Amino acid sequence: MASPNSDNEPVERIIELRLPSRLGYEKVAMDTASSLARRMGFGGDRVEALRTAIAEAVTNAIEHGNEHDSDMRVLVMLTARPDELVVSVADQGRKQLDQQQTTPTPRIEDAFTKQDKGGWGIWLIRELMDEVEFTTAPSGGNQVRMVIHLER
Amino acid sequence: MELSFPSELGYEKVAREAVAAFARRLGCDRERVEDLKTALGEACINAIEHGNGRAPGLRVDVSCIGADDHLEIEVHDQGLKRYESSGTIASIDLKLSGLAPLRGMGLMMIAQLVDEAGFTESVDGRNHFRLVLYFRKI
Repeated sequence: MASPNSDNEPVERIIELRLPSRLGYEKVAMDTASSLARRMGFGGDRVEALRTAIAEAVTNAIEHGNEHDSDMRVLVMLTARPDELVVSVADQGRKQLDQQQTTPTPRIEDAFTKQDKGGWGIWLIRELMDEVEFTTAPSGGNQVRMVIHLER
Repeated sequence: MELSFPSELGYEKVAREAVAAFARRLGCDRERVEDLKTALGEACINAIEHGNGRAPGLRVDVSCIGADDHLEIEVHDQGLKRYESSGTIASIDLKLSGLAPLRGMGLMMIAQLVDEAGFTESVDGRNHFRLVLYFRKI
């Protein structure tokens, strides 16, 4: 859905979504992103990968970054470019993400023995998206920027 | 929830999916979600085509407030062209018989699909279109 401007340069189209920090609203982000991705020409498997990655990112923002405070918002920005979709998910940073947690290598064997089965979200995001970067949002919160490439 | 998207035909479909997911999260039943998607799509197309006059670079903003048994949505354009009521809305019979213009079907359909709909007063120069949908919880 990105189209050339008057100078024939491809331009980007941005969709912004602000969600309450309550579990369940990650589905709004998933459905919005998948609608855009389908219109951009992404195939079914890639759309499913995108949905899973966004679900993990928004859930992390709600549960960890905003600590379930429903007065806080999660900002999701979807930038459609001719050959890729960039997704940015930012929270308001009540709890800062430890940078060491952004490159996890969880082991399935541990999941069988440990009570806490968490810790797979960021690993999943990295497996599913083509580019992933953890930064600080302009608001001071945690931000994850994910890119999925459109292969025609 | 707030959503902002480029004022271009096609993006209303993205808005429909976003608002439908929001309504489902509130417990709105499937039939009412379909009514809402159609009504919201029409409202967004009006904003893109009329309020923003299909001018490039403009945006459409949608805000959704959920309550226990209803959902209130506002669609804002940038008011390149302000909405002016042409008085009484012509009936579908008048339109089909050629005695009234065919334009304006969208507003008529929206009014049939949701419980409250109409333009509200605005002081910021933009058009504000408000929809309210009551639903049975599933």
